[in-house]
Amino acid sequence: MSDRIVFEDVSKFYGEILGVNRVNLSIPPGITSLVGPNGSGKTTLMNLMTGLVRPTRGRVDILGCPTDDPERLFTMLGYSTQFDAFPKGLTGFQFIYSYLRLSGRDAQRAEQMAWRVIERVNLVEAAKRNIAGYSKGMRQRIRLAQALAHDPKVLVLDEPLNGLDPLARSEMIALFRATAAQGCYVIISSHILHEVDVISDQVILLSNGYVVAEGQIATVRGEIQEHPTQILIRCTRPRALAAKMLEEEIAIDISIHKDERGLLLKTRDADRFYLALNDLALHENGNGIDIESIAPADDDVLSVYEYLIGNEEAVR
Amino acid sequence: MAVYRRNYKPYSGPLTAAWSRCFVLFRYSRKNLFRSKFLTGLFVVCFFYPLLCLIMIYLAHSASFLAELGIPSQVLTIDNKFFLNFMSVQGVFAFLLTTFAGPGLISPDLANGALPLYFCRPFSRTDYVLGKASVLVILLSQITWVPGLILFAIQAGLAGASWAWSNLWIAGSLMISSLIWIAILSLLAMALSAWVKWRIVAGAMLLGVRFFGWGFALAVNEVLRIKSGHFFDVAYLMGTIWTALFQVSSEHAISVPQAWVALLVYCAICLGLLMRKVRAYEVVR
Repeated sequence: MSDRIVFEDVSKFYGEILGVNRVNLSIPPGITSLVGPNGSGKTTLMNLMTGLVRPTRGRVDILGCPTDDPERLFTMLGYSTQFDAFPKGLTGFQFIYSYLRLSGRDAQRAEQMAWRVIERVNLVEAAKRNIAGYSKGMRQRIRLAQALAHDPKVLVLDEPLNGLDPLARSEMIALFRATAAQGCYVIISSHILHEVDVISDQVILLSNGYVVAEGQIATVRGEIQEHPTQILIRCTRPRALAAKMLEEEIAIDISIHKDERGLLLKTRDADRFYLALNDLALHENGNGIDIESIAPADDDVLSVYEYLIGNEEAVR
Repeated sequence: MAVYRRNYKPYSGPLTAAWSRCFVLFRYSRKNLFRSKFLTGLFVVCFFYPLLCLIMIYLAHSASFLAELGIPSQVLTIDNKFFLNFMSVQGVFAFLLTTFAGPGLISPDLANGALPLYFCRPFSRTDYVLGKASVLVILLSQITWVPGLILFAIQAGLAGASWAWSNLWIAGSLMISSLIWIAILSLLAMALSAWVKWRIVAGAMLLGVRFFGWGFALAVNEVLRIKSGHFFDVAYLMGTIWTALFQVSSEHAISVPQAWVALLVYCAICLGLLMRKVRAYEVVR
């Protein structure tokens, strides 16, 4: 059995409309975020993963299981859709319970599993209330619960953090992390880039139906050659450090902080910069420069998104 | 992350049979239906005529009681015409019940975008349609062939074995007539429910199919001076088949094989419309 979610040259067209085109992916366990503007193909990719749409071309394989075998696929896959979709008139408990019954659990097991997952998403008190009366955050959580209820190994979550308050968000993020830490695959699509940055083990950037980049954020950032890496350094004597870096032709642009306690440096060769900084600290005794902290300034999803997809695309 | 820390354990317990899962939909949909007092009332009214038929069967076998009332015993004859009348009346009730119960089956799921939730389980579109159809099939069976067969059994019990053997075909006709009508009504109701998301409009359209079809058929026949207009009238087609099944002589403008073919075409169109709409996703153009 394969331990990856594999897309092999996958294209999906809705008539003449492009969903995704020539997608090749191999997704490992952990939290993977799909990032891209509206209409970039995130939901199509998720629908392909869950077998809800069939590829026009290519092959999708979930841990060795083809997506056209629902009996096997949906024992290991849970999906939470983006839209506020609930059958009418159900309570939170009935919603989870009925879908567990549809997933093939008998009445007793379905009840046990339903209560367990409801507890996991902190909705025990509201479980017997009609979903129609739930707040947006509660709806999001109960939807997440139905995806988690049957203990899937692959969790596909379309915009799972939308509508959640900060506390609920941190609870959900902790839940994703705990699930991923068990060796599961958590696939998330999100517009909230700073949270994607915090939770993702890897990202897949999509634009106009194409995969623009994939992998760990730092690796993706490192491959973007046309945009120099920005590094933020807090130190004493920033002008001396700036002069040294310019002299060694490591930096192409430097701006000194107003407080004269740091600088923002742009370089096309981050590795060389770090070596030079080590050298400075170790062999030249720092030249009186005390370095307090070094942090990449554009080594995050937002920067990568802006560089690869562009500022013109709306980022929420 | 170290492999030894990956402590995910998949569910390893037993699973229910795949064929039985569609009954989960049946249970919830039926429960939803009977929340309506009007529908519950209508369902009860549907048993009035079978009750009347039961009384008629009893009276037909109580010659002395009829004599006391001064009614000649020939007036109440329990034969194929009696059961055709039973089917015709219950067929109307079946249609009315479908008008109220059918449109609410699929349209709420479509309106609420719930279909992807159903289909991201080991649960196919066919299972979904069967689950929803089973609500109507069981509901309509309870007011058509089930009371029909009970009445037949009571009549057979009162009239004796010879009557039962020589009229056993009536039981078959009752079953077939009911099942065809149920299949057509179910498919029609579900197709409309899938295409018209507003429940009341879907119900009105179902009534429209019945009465507009009848009116259109008459208009076509009158204007073009033909008889083929009856192909637009589902109830007429059904009536043609029922009279043939109950071996009652009557003049119909359309032959029985033609009526069968026309009804099959209607069923195929409804099924096509239904499967086109019952999908996990909708392309927004």
